[in-house]
Amino acid sequence: MPELYLVLIDRILTPVLLMLAVIFLLAGHNAPGGGFIAGLVVATAFLMQIMARGDGFVRRLIGPYLQPLMGAGLLIAVLSALVGIGNYALFFEGVWWKLSLGDFVLELGTPTLFDIGVFLVVSAFVTSYLLELSRPAKEGGRK
Amino acid sequence: MLTPFLVLLALTGPALWLLRVHRWQHAGWLAAVTPAVVTGWLLAQLGPAAQGSFVTEQRVWSEAFGLALDLRLDGLGLFFGLIVAGMGTAIAVYAGYYFEKSARLGYFYALLFLFMTSMLGLVSADNLLALFVFWEGTSITSYLLISFKLTDKNALEGARRALVVTGMGALAMLGSFVLLGQMAGTYSISGLLALPAATLTQHALFTPMLVLVLLGAFTKSAQFPFHFWLPGAMAAPTPASAYLHSATMVKAGVYLLARLHPAFAESPLWFWALLVVGGLTMLVGAVIALRHYDLKAILAYATVSQLGVLVMLLAFNTKVAVTAAVVGILAHALYKGPLFMVAGIVDHATGTRDIRKLAGLARSLPLVGAAAILAGISMAGIIPTFGFVAKELLLENFFALIEAGHSQLGWAGLVAVVITGALFVAYSLILLWEAFLRRNSPLKQATVHHAPSTAFVLPVLALTVVGALIPFFFSSIEGALFGSAGSAILGAALEPHLALWHGWTPIFLTSLLAIGLGAVIFTQRERIRKLFTKAPEFKGQAVFDGAVDALYSLARWSTRTVQGSSFPTQIGVPLMAAAGFVGYALSRDFIADLRVDWDAIPTFYEVVLPLLAVVAALAIARAQSRLSAIISLGLVGSVVMLIYVFFSAPDLALTQFLVEVLTLVLLVLVFYRIPYHAYPKQPKHRSFKYLLISCAVGVWGFGMALLAAGKPLAQTISSYFSLNATAAHGGNIVNVILVDFRGFDTLGEISVMVVAALGGYALLRSSRMRPLAPKKKRKERRNA
Repeated sequence: MPELYLVLIDRILTPVLLMLAVIFLLAGHNAPGGGFIAGLVVATAFLMQIMARGDGFVRRLIGPYLQPLMGAGLLIAVLSALVGIGNYALFFEGVWWKLSLGDFVLELGTPTLFDIGVFLVVSAFVTSYLLELSRPAKEGGRK
Repeated sequence: MLTPFLVLLALTGPALWLLRVHRWQHAGWLAAVTPAVVTGWLLAQLGPAAQGSFVTEQRVWSEAFGLALDLRLDGLGLFFGLIVAGMGTAIAVYAGYYFEKSARLGYFYALLFLFMTSMLGLVSADNLLALFVFWEGTSITSYLLISFKLTDKNALEGARRALVVTGMGALAMLGSFVLLGQMAGTYSISGLLALPAATLTQHALFTPMLVLVLLGAFTKSAQFPFHFWLPGAMAAPTPASAYLHSATMVKAGVYLLARLHPAFAESPLWFWALLVVGGLTMLVGAVIALRHYDLKAILAYATVSQLGVLVMLLAFNTKVAVTAAVVGILAHALYKGPLFMVAGIVDHATGTRDIRKLAGLARSLPLVGAAAILAGISMAGIIPTFGFVAKELLLENFFALIEAGHSQLGWAGLVAVVITGALFVAYSLILLWEAFLRRNSPLKQATVHHAPSTAFVLPVLALTVVGALIPFFFSSIEGALFGSAGSAILGAALEPHLALWHGWTPIFLTSLLAIGLGAVIFTQRERIRKLFTKAPEFKGQAVFDGAVDALYSLARWSTRTVQGSSFPTQIGVPLMAAAGFVGYALSRDFIADLRVDWDAIPTFYEVVLPLLAVVAALAIARAQSRLSAIISLGLVGSVVMLIYVFFSAPDLALTQFLVEVLTLVLLVLVFYRIPYHAYPKQPKHRSFKYLLISCAVGVWGFGMALLAAGKPLAQTISSYFSLNATAAHGGNIVNVILVDFRGFDTLGEISVMVVAALGGYALLRSSRMRPLAPKKKRKERRNA
């Protein structure tokens, strides 16, 4: 049985951080938050996992997806900027759609999409550095 | 209607990759569907284009920069577009068999189709800047295709050379486009060409602009002395060589020259530069081709020579020269592409491309032999082939020059063309005879151990047959195909009248003379090869490699001298430089502009937080171990975060907090890699130096903050942001700025992040970051 604080980090802090990241990401346009912050929060969540379960576990879990996710994030960002052109407007022109779900009106726009791209890039970027730097203990770092 | 096709082409490659097409034996036919559809659509546009109604599309990209994604398929664009899409169809089929279930087929298709998109965009772009973007797209895909074999050092070096040479040319070209845009007041190509020619040619900046344009075109089209990158590019898989490096991409330079021909052709500089460079390239390429034994190398130098011919023809502003250029472009694509593909099949079937090891392939591979002979006699320019017509027109151009009274120039050109023509004949015959017809090879003969399927040869045959048939249908296609393309180059209506047989004219006799000379060279080939091998060669490649090496040493030298060896000096130099320069700029009106309210009473937080930061900073300086220094550093960051909180900037505070946490952990991880030992004792003078740097940077930062608060340097924009945030559907101004108002900046930043991630990944994986394990082993061994 690992130490108690590791269990707390693993079972409680990580999910809370992940949920927080989703809230930051979606609410970011109107309240504090945004893709950049959400990305950092997700990276922190993975950091907690690295501490609680070791870097090998996290690397197996998400390692192969990090670089593709970065590329996907960049692609989403560029595409969201291109939507403006497709609409016979300008590059990066914001295009907004309104989704009515009963009383609740959800505003979705290309900036939101762009923010998701930023989120993917930032979270994958920081996590990949965390993972790479936490590797050496096994491969020749200080014992 | 063109954009959907471009998007479709761009998506086809990755789609094929995702479908894992290499599992299917006949994947090539599936891949060929999209380019075939595009070819069909382009063919359908030929009729309307001949009537003067062009497909045009206009999209504004960024109005402020004059950047527009305008597309316009006029006769010239359509002509090149047909070559791109038509050849692309054949290459797509061919590649499917060439890679033969290799798992990298999908990757190849992804690159191939991206290239096709860029090339089609290039020839249809009606905006100089859009053309540049597509131009770079072709350079990058070409780079990736040349370095396709990642383990081959030659391929990587060839790819780098190609990219640097064409990339530098493209930069020069971008400069010329900006100049051109300034001179003409528009970046639209059709707008530019509609201006009276004198507006440009009489402009003071005309000469530098033209030189830059020519640099771009000459590097891309492998003109002397930049021709060396093209043979180096032959390390690419053969389908890519056949497509990019003979039929399409290397003709982008020719296309650019043809496109701008109406505006510049009156200038003497244009005439002499194109004539001399093109003529030299033509001769140099043809001569060097004879020295080589590698099938692809011979074809590569022959391509260089042919590109020289095309550039030379574009020097002239006459109907016959333009007709010769247009016919030459298509004829070359239709014989050189298939010949490259034949070389690929031969390589595939026998395992070698060395002509000394080949013989009698026409008997073992009859279909391939038929295609090779059909294409080869066209390359030699023997009647009744397409290549023959192209050569007749080339000769006619110089005869016309003599008739027009420029007899010296005309005769010189005629002699050069006859020599080149003879060399063309010679190496065509050598290729056909040695590889396909003779019975025995001088070196150990390679055997056909892997006969190609008929479907593999089919695209090659199709291209050669099209090439062979075109001369017999001149009357029905010359107006729509060559006429409208030529009119766009000439800037005036052109109605070519092509025919295979003109009677016993002086042109035909000269053509016969060239063939006869070629036959003589062919019979004396061993002696001439020896002679040419001894001849001095211009080592463009050596010059280039030397320049690159010199650049590396310069970088090393400057890094060493400016940045020093230790990490503190490396950081100290730029910091002091920043502090010095900005400090000087500030000192001039610093004190007078200070707006400090000396009577204000600071609040509790404003006193406590800075004090806390000061204490933490002192703790860093006094720390005895790295870990405590890192923790104290984190404390400083947290104080800054608290300041954001109290001054109600929750977004900044959140970001600061997260960045602080993550940097702290990253720092701990980094220092974890460094062997542990206590801080070394610093000598006094060094501590003093560091203290000085820190104080200077601190004063500079403080001064900057004071000044920024006291005197807005420019009209502030924040009110605009807060006024328009609701219009941008957002309540959080910081976020709206990031993703909407300043979205382009953010895009740049995340691109930098991705690049940094890849660079960091490579660095952390490199062997220098993991030196400890083997060393320790060595030590253990020594101890034992």
